[in-house]
Amino acid sequence: MPNMLKRKSRLGALPWIFPALFMIFSFVLWPAFEMVRTSFQEVSSSGITKGWAGIQNYITLFDNPDLPNVLIRTFIWVAGIVFFTIIISLPVAQLLNAKYPGRKVVRWAVIIPWAASVVMSSTIWKWILDPYYGVLNKILMDLHVYKEPVDFLANSKQSFVWLMIVAVFVSIPFTSFVILAGLSTIPGDVVEASTVDGATAWKGYKNITFPLIKPALLVAMAINLINIFNAFPIIWVITAGGPGYETDTTTTLGYKISFRDQDIGQSASMASLNLIIILIFIGIFLKVSKSQEDK
Amino acid sequence: MKKVTRLGALVAATGLIAASVLGTSAKAADVVELKMVAADYANMQPFWDDLSAKFTKANPTIKVSVNVVSWDTIDDKVKTLVATGQTPDVVNKGDYSAAAAEGLLYRADEMVSAATLADIVPTFLNNSKYNGVAYAVPDLASARALFYNKDILTKAGVKKLPTTWAELETVLKQIKAKVPGVYPYALPLGPEEGQAEFAIWAGGNGGVMFKNGKWVLNSKENVAAMTYLKKLTDEKLTQPNPAKCDRTACAQALFAAGKAAFINGSVFLAGWLKDNGGAAINLGSGSFVAAPGKTPVTLGVQDYFTAYKANGHKAEIAKWMDFIFQPDNYAAFLKAAGGFIPATKSAGAAAAKDPALAPFIKLLPSAIFYPGDQAAWPAVKGAIQQQIGTALVNPQKTMDALQAKALAAAK
Repeated sequence: MPNMLKRKSRLGALPWIFPALFMIFSFVLWPAFEMVRTSFQEVSSSGITKGWAGIQNYITLFDNPDLPNVLIRTFIWVAGIVFFTIIISLPVAQLLNAKYPGRKVVRWAVIIPWAASVVMSSTIWKWILDPYYGVLNKILMDLHVYKEPVDFLANSKQSFVWLMIVAVFVSIPFTSFVILAGLSTIPGDVVEASTVDGATAWKGYKNITFPLIKPALLVAMAINLINIFNAFPIIWVITAGGPGYETDTTTTLGYKISFRDQDIGQSASMASLNLIIILIFIGIFLKVSKSQEDK
Repeated sequence: MKKVTRLGALVAATGLIAASVLGTSAKAADVVELKMVAADYANMQPFWDDLSAKFTKANPTIKVSVNVVSWDTIDDKVKTLVATGQTPDVVNKGDYSAAAAEGLLYRADEMVSAATLADIVPTFLNNSKYNGVAYAVPDLASARALFYNKDILTKAGVKKLPTTWAELETVLKQIKAKVPGVYPYALPLGPEEGQAEFAIWAGGNGGVMFKNGKWVLNSKENVAAMTYLKKLTDEKLTQPNPAKCDRTACAQALFAAGKAAFINGSVFLAGWLKDNGGAAINLGSGSFVAAPGKTPVTLGVQDYFTAYKANGHKAEIAKWMDFIFQPDNYAAFLKAAGGFIPATKSAGAAAAKDPALAPFIKLLPSAIFYPGDQAAWPAVKGAIQQQIGTALVNPQKTMDALQAKALAAAK
């Protein structure tokens, strides 16, 4: 009897967890499965599946002369943006947490770039940086910094830096608000006590505040890591990975292999590789944050 | 209650049978819906909606829904539709060969009646073949010329139009010296139409992409053409960002703003300028420049109607295609698309009297075309669009990389 009851109550939970299960299977697991399956198939340029290809797609992918540079760039992209986003967001969160008149307005101002779609922000930045009509050129020329308009995106290294700046810009709001949430959990009396004990502002921040916001910080880093790694619109809208493949990350390269080189199978293997890379990133991250916690 | 329901069902069933005997409901069930995906030349959706409404009026059993898609995304869209089993019946875009090679398409003589097919300009129909059989019906074509801003040339004191590479370089230098704030040549090697700019410069040096059954992207002639463009760029005779400059948003926009003296323009450039703030430009055009000892060429580009077999709507497609090519409807199509060269002899005769089109129609016999009949062409085009801009850094390296991609795609 008790067994039967138990089974019944388990099944009884099904209607409640079904939507979540359905979502996970149909929007996460099944597409991932299809992606990996496609990466072992030969798909024609018109979109017709021709049959199994073994590991040929992976061999072609690793033969791609642009892949090594794109991988290095992807690493710089993720590590650089997450690092600078955190560095800038820490003081921004402090600013948002401080009490002063007009704080509400400042908080709103920080939320706006986050609320706008990334495609919109990227398009705005593209036009800000435009050599002929862009406002940045106009300002710099009016200040007599340049005589002739400069194309900030003409040189691939320079344009990659600009892409990273834009990515940091759109990542700051979310990050600083997560840190702000961490800050607001710190009881006021702890900080007060440290001041009474004679800690300077910097010492108090280093030894009291920072350790207490670490959990929030780790969450912000993990989410940024995934977000930035998958950030397609910023690159696609502003440079489309060009010229050539010189500002591509693995995400945009995968799209280009599929829709420019017309090779869907190879693109699926790039996407599968992407999945492995992000798992490695997260693995390293978890390891590091664990060892941090153990300290 | 029950009785009433039963009675109602009986009445309804009788009604249905009666209706189907009379043929009214059979009609409703037999309507075939054709799905078409069409590229957006100008503002095409109103034209297609109007035409399909007229067509359904004349053929009540066939409905046509036309989805107009921008040039940027139409290839991706069609590919996705095919890959996900939602293959459209008719497609209007810039290539056909890969689908023809895979046996997805009806032949041209299955798509349209013999009379319509006989009216297509032979050159264009020849460019619609795969292995000697036409698998697409050309919809229209364009040709290119070297356009210039007459006012800038006058200011710079240019008396004679350049015809060779060396003369062009001299003229560009003269413009740079005498008319500050103007880019002598607007060079768009960005993804939008990089393959066209490449094809016409290479063509002026006798270079092609495909020759005697082989891809020859890294031929001597092609590398030399890109080396010449690198020289122009290094001497700052072009705008500063040719590698990422797209045709419409960058090169044509600069020209429309009076900031560029020369541009490689298509037949519709004059119309485009009028609609995009360049109406005041004093426009001149001439034949393209060539390398020493080579003849100038123009680049002919044609687009296509293709019909997919997947849904088996052969008869309906043929009716719809013939309807499009009826003289009035086809004239309306050309008008909506805006200033292109017609693909039919009958419409071509009328266009030859149009002063804006006549010079281009005359150039067509000497035109070079893309190797659009090669199954690998869509992939090669994509690769050129991606990478040709980097040839301004190292011409040989880029052309070698493109050749490798072409060979891989042709496998």
